[in-house]
Amino acid sequence: MAKRIVLDLDLCCGCRSCEAACKAAHKGEARIRHGDIVGEAYLPLACKHCKDPLCVAACPVDAIKRDEETGLVIRSSLICIGCKSCAYACPFGVIDAPLIRHVSQKCNLCNDREDGPRCVAACSSGALQFLSDEDIEKHEIGMRMVSKNAFFRRKA
Amino acid sequence: MKKIDPMFTTVKKTVCPFCSFGCDLGVVFNDFGIKGVEYIKEGSSKGRLCPRGSAAALYLNHPKRLSMPMKDSKVLEWSKLTKDLKKILDNPKNVAVTFDRNLTIEEYESIISFCDKTGIENIASTYFEPERFLKKFLNKPFSLDEIDNAKMIIVLGDPFSQAPMISKALINWKLRDWKNRLVVIDTINSHTAGFANDFLKGTVGTEPILLYGLAQESMGNIDIAAITGIPESKIKEISKSFKQAENGLIIVSLPFAHTYDSLLLTRSLAKLSTFSGKKVVPLVEFAGFEGNQYFGSIMNLVKKKKIKHLINFGELFPFYYPQVAKNLKALNIYSTSTIKYNEYTTIPVALNIEKQGTILTNFGKKKLDGNIKPSSGAKTISEILALLQEVSGKGKRLDIDMPELKLNIKERVKKLIERCTAPKKKKTLKLIGEKIAYNFLGFFENEILKLNPHDAKELGIKQNDIISIKSKHGKVDLAAKLTKDVEKGIVAVPAETPEVKGLFDFEIDNNIVNFIPTEVEIWRKG
Repeated sequence: MAKRIVLDLDLCCGCRSCEAACKAAHKGEARIRHGDIVGEAYLPLACKHCKDPLCVAACPVDAIKRDEETGLVIRSSLICIGCKSCAYACPFGVIDAPLIRHVSQKCNLCNDREDGPRCVAACSSGALQFLSDEDIEKHEIGMRMVSKNAFFRRKA
Repeated sequence: MKKIDPMFTTVKKTVCPFCSFGCDLGVVFNDFGIKGVEYIKEGSSKGRLCPRGSAAALYLNHPKRLSMPMKDSKVLEWSKLTKDLKKILDNPKNVAVTFDRNLTIEEYESIISFCDKTGIENIASTYFEPERFLKKFLNKPFSLDEIDNAKMIIVLGDPFSQAPMISKALINWKLRDWKNRLVVIDTINSHTAGFANDFLKGTVGTEPILLYGLAQESMGNIDIAAITGIPESKIKEISKSFKQAENGLIIVSLPFAHTYDSLLLTRSLAKLSTFSGKKVVPLVEFAGFEGNQYFGSIMNLVKKKKIKHLINFGELFPFYYPQVAKNLKALNIYSTSTIKYNEYTTIPVALNIEKQGTILTNFGKKKLDGNIKPSSGAKTISEILALLQEVSGKGKRLDIDMPELKLNIKERVKKLIERCTAPKKKKTLKLIGEKIAYNFLGFFENEILKLNPHDAKELGIKQNDIISIKSKHGKVDLAAKLTKDVEKGIVAVPAETPEVKGLFDFEIDNNIVNFIPTEVEIWRKG
């Protein structure tokens, strides 16, 4: 069953452990990004491995493909020509526009690691989780656009 | 011929070397060498790692890692280094031995024994971080369950940025029961402060006075509220609730040069702990070993030309404290290091992660099994000492138990108040350090300076502008981050690199080197 990385907004403390784990594992390329919420909080932006990915549709050389069985949307660095079409097409802004070694950076859910993505393993607060669609619906994690408890909103 | 299989990996378990939390982690190897880290779910931090821990594998074989002894930017053969060291050890009275961090308990003991054997009598710590005095609170092992059981927690500083694993326990603790009360004391608005019930954002440097207030210590005529900026009724109410709370904790994470008087801060924490009956949980680096004197005495002996050579075992001194090292120009310094530096004589040394021995963590003593071999060229301290084994002096057994300093608390409080209430100098801002885990040693991105938008407007500085920061010790250029997290007149920087650390002022207090908030000038570059 396809699993995705989801963020529980109630738990994220913005420590960027996920980003460091990703960067350390992928030779300095951070494939998970952070959104700076008006200087108030950092929130990780992970690829959602969409069912109908726009990055796949936008890629002119078919460097990005979706595996129907696992749900993994993966980019081949050998085919990628670094045109940034995927970065512009992604509705969530998770593909970073600046290129590294002339290719775009795309999350592969750490498919070289049996226990799933490293960002989820590293997450110091347990905010990032690797869940199936069923679990996401069951726990309502990732369905909320705003934190229920909003602890990260600062008291100026 | 052996077949290389890049997909075949082995995991060797060890302990993260970067702070007293000592998280268990695995280092992943394949046929090409170190591949990354693995997360140990059964470990003391339950598999969670902060950015520094996740980057531990990067650090092990980073291009900046020192692999050969160097002298003034040139490679020095081990044999030549040994010869040089043996020569200076012929006259041990001229030599001082110091240590900072990245030492196991056994290594510390072997250094002391080496000094006994060779007759070196001047031994001191070169770890000048303010948290060094908190080590005494490590004597009581901590468990994350203690957070679950607490009803009220007082946090000094921002533990999220030093050991973010604590965040899971704290957040779960808050979410489980909103009656649980979190009080945060800090000068800047941090992650932890963001979800505190009470955020006591005091004036820079006044934390000891606030802590004495919370401990209901008699302060004579001192108006705590006027000095700290926190209403007296609030201090009294928190103090009463904390004492009455069934279970509670005081968690401390002290940033570099964030406060004027680290000694007084430690005493005030101890006072609050005694008053409330609650434990202090310090988040510190692996340091805190003391010698038979404080480093100020060594500096005096250098001035009097009684000490000519210094051998430092650790990884910070003299590189991370250039302003202190500037005062020791007459000194011939040999220092172990994990990173390449162009000055002094540097000796490549293993990280804790690559050693065998015992380290003291928040969770008690942990064993390192040494199953990760030191990076190419680096030697363990035992190996370095073994090179000098033939040296046989007529030393005596040294007394290395440093007595607790007798402080005149009233006098120190008075002095602190004078400093905190002194009028601000024109055109300067006060630079303080802050904890940050992500930008570890500047490996990931350049450091940034946090600046209040009001000050930025006056100085004509915009978001992300490159600005120059100048103190009497030096100048660096950093990007500006405009945020109301810092008050007007204050600028904050994560002091992770020698260049930035080198900006801060220091004082010698009871022969202890103490870094303090520093007046700086700031302007937009270009």
